[in-house]
Amino acid sequence: MTSYSKEVLGDLAAGKLPWPQTRRIMSAYKDDDRFFKMVAVYQDRVAWTDPILLPVSDHLFICQSGDERITRCECGHSFGDYRKNWKLKAAINVRNTEEALREIYPNSDLPDPEWMEIREFICPECGTLHEVEAAAPGYPIVHDFEPDLEGFYREWLGKPLQQT
Amino acid sequence: MLDKPASALRLRERLLDSERLMEETGCYDGITELTLRNQDPLKFETLHTKLRAYCVSAREMARRISASPGVREVGEMVVAIYTPEGDAIALSNGIMVHVHTMSRFIKWMIKNGYEDNPRIREGDIFANNDAFIGTVQVPDVMDVVPIFHEGTLVGWAGAVCHELEAGGITPGGDVCLAQERFTEGLFVCAEKIGENDEIRRDYVIRCERNLRMPIYWVLDEKAKVASCIDMRESVKQLISEIGLDYWMKVSKEFIEEGRRAQLARTRQLTVPGIYRGHTFYGHVTAGKPGFQLLGDPDWLYNIPIEMEITTDGKITMDFEGTQPWGYHSMNCTPAGMDGGMFVTLTQHMNFEGLVNDGAWMATELKLPHGTWTNPDNEMVATATSWALLLPAYGVFQRLLSRGFIARGFVEEAFVGQVNSPMIEMGGESQYGTPFGMAHFECAAAGSGALAIKDGLDTAYVGWNPESDMGNIEVWEQSMPMVYIGRSIVPNSGGAGKYRGGCSFVSTWLINKTSHLRLHTSEHSSRVFDNGGMCGGYPAPTCQKHRSVRNSDIHELAAKGEPLAHAPGIDPHVSDYERNIGGDHVVVEGPYITSPHKSGDIFSHSYNGGGGYGDVLERDPIKTAWDVENGFLTRQAADQVFGIVLKDDEDGYPIADIDATAERRAAMRKQRLVKAIPVADWIAKERGRVEKADFAPEVKKMYASAIKLSPRFTSEFSEFWNVDARSIFMPGAKP
Repeated sequence: MTSYSKEVLGDLAAGKLPWPQTRRIMSAYKDDDRFFKMVAVYQDRVAWTDPILLPVSDHLFICQSGDERITRCECGHSFGDYRKNWKLKAAINVRNTEEALREIYPNSDLPDPEWMEIREFICPECGTLHEVEAAAPGYPIVHDFEPDLEGFYREWLGKPLQQT
Repeated sequence: MLDKPASALRLRERLLDSERLMEETGCYDGITELTLRNQDPLKFETLHTKLRAYCVSAREMARRISASPGVREVGEMVVAIYTPEGDAIALSNGIMVHVHTMSRFIKWMIKNGYEDNPRIREGDIFANNDAFIGTVQVPDVMDVVPIFHEGTLVGWAGAVCHELEAGGITPGGDVCLAQERFTEGLFVCAEKIGENDEIRRDYVIRCERNLRMPIYWVLDEKAKVASCIDMRESVKQLISEIGLDYWMKVSKEFIEEGRRAQLARTRQLTVPGIYRGHTFYGHVTAGKPGFQLLGDPDWLYNIPIEMEITTDGKITMDFEGTQPWGYHSMNCTPAGMDGGMFVTLTQHMNFEGLVNDGAWMATELKLPHGTWTNPDNEMVATATSWALLLPAYGVFQRLLSRGFIARGFVEEAFVGQVNSPMIEMGGESQYGTPFGMAHFECAAAGSGALAIKDGLDTAYVGWNPESDMGNIEVWEQSMPMVYIGRSIVPNSGGAGKYRGGCSFVSTWLINKTSHLRLHTSEHSSRVFDNGGMCGGYPAPTCQKHRSVRNSDIHELAAKGEPLAHAPGIDPHVSDYERNIGGDHVVVEGPYITSPHKSGDIFSHSYNGGGGYGDVLERDPIKTAWDVENGFLTRQAADQVFGIVLKDDEDGYPIADIDATAERRAAMRKQRLVKAIPVADWIAKERGRVEKADFAPEVKKMYASAIKLSPRFTSEFSEFWNVDARSIFMPGAKP
């Protein structure tokens, strides 16, 4: 069975693994013990101790915080109940003028800001840019991911979560 | 009795029976156990490998028969072997999107009584390019031949080539000016085009008299038929070795195994749940010559996608809330939507094990009737379906990638395929003859970023995982234009910790012709349609065209003056305008204009992919390399990525790590100064929504989505705490 050390997976997640080795991992049969090893990699990376239940973005994790399951930024900031859209608790910067779009696209033709805006969802504590939406003005904010956390742990991992 | 079916049942009955068994048992053709696989797994795998080898070999042979640089150079071809009921057992590499569209074509013939008339006999050749029967667009012409073994129908061999010229209202294959079916080109609607392994002369004559460049289409037909005969004979030989009964069983077990492998792969790589995303498409044609005023000339489409992965591993994609079909060329049929799903799955998830129609059977598409995904009018045009398919399936890749990240398989996360415009042309060739062609260097756009590295530069398109731009010299042999430049478009990948792959721009001098029609398609210039992920920005929107009529390039060259070989990095004034005299033209959206002639200059940019992760985490050293090699501008490195560059003693950029850290800390703080809580933004924006204070195209988009989708209406109303119908459809009946 394919398996990799935590160190290799840590380098893989950090984009530091040499390309030939990365390529071999991509081409090989997948390692069945990946999930919990990768969770351990992330757990080492964060400064807080709440157990990580699921990574959901580059720096966002669903974790067990006491009796609650919350979405937490790598810096520790809580976005609240994981079943709610974390973006609603974020800070936002909207680029809906040519000048604001030009800051990101200095040398390209631009879309029409009357037709499309860029929404930057930012951690209010550390300033990490967690997600960018390109949407028509007035378009509701998207709830990207509602994982079936209970079903995942119970049926796919065979390790049911404790009831909260 | 050459048309005797394999069982006592007629084909149509067998097909219906197979569908019933699938419904009743949940397994393909009612195969609940992989008996042959369990008996002798090595034999089972070896046989599938043989079938795949037949396909790959037949395709390579056929490419050498073709005259089309699209097929010969770029590989715009795929072949496959099917069951008698039309389900793909094995396929070659290439434009795999059509493996499932051909399946629809075969099933359509069976369901429409082809056994009785025109009959299905050994040596028959059937062709189709009607998307409502089973293809994506008119240039995707498919041929299938039945495989008989000792008088018994035991399968089909099929092949598709993307034709470079389809005889539509404008030259080329992706006919952007088509607004109805009747202007898309030459249709072949599930037609028997040959018997006894020979293409009918009257069919060839029809092609010769209705196409601008029949040599491409006709030789591609011969290439496809040759590949089908090659596969057919190989399969017959195989059956004589393994026996008919074994073949009939094993070919179906292959598909059931493919279905199970897809479900297992989903359970292995993802996390169950609901995934959501969207993209947009903004198109302008107002005032352009040739477009009839059948609908709004400028329009904005939203493409929301909700994907559900259940704990049994099934993936369902739902397009509810998207826009109605329109009088443009970008509509798609369910066959095309299936094809998009199939090609994405084969390269994104199904990269080991048995790749066949089983993968597609483990998924479900919900395509709302009346939308561009499933038009309720079969007269609509689908000539440039890819314009909407590509950004839509780019979203699908991002949704899957969210699952890969959640599961820990970060190396598989991929921001996705991109929509990128392409060029069609026709008129008088450099040899003084009529010609028509699509330029397929477009098959090498930039890809989206990965979660662990930058995207691929000039090396990826979603529809053909074998992406290839072809050789400049071969393209120059085929058109009256010579390259005076082809270069990377700086910053064309979306910004991010890992940037999207960059695209390229070509510049041509029109040469040895007095009449060259140049047209382009698949333009989404008003919006971002190639999104980013996890903090990465979308790729820049589609760039404008820049051309110079009556240029003085020959005079400049004679004097040894500097020329311009690319538009440059100033979006307001191009290098062409700076360096070349003549009549300068800048065009947004599809390039539809009067013919060009020798001495004119034309340029066309392709699109890059979306970025991944926070820009302020990008590696400064890698960025210095990017600047040195033209993938990023110094301006972008500084103001977008916050990377301070200085020059080494030879003038090459190197990163100042300390100054970069300082600058980024300041930029991060500045972000928080500028940003506001989302709740405050929603409260402020609600007032704008209540007043529908939006551009007319935006309001029209909301009204159309609300009219078609109760779910979109309720979600919109709930989010903004408004009555969406009364805002966007005042006076409409509830």
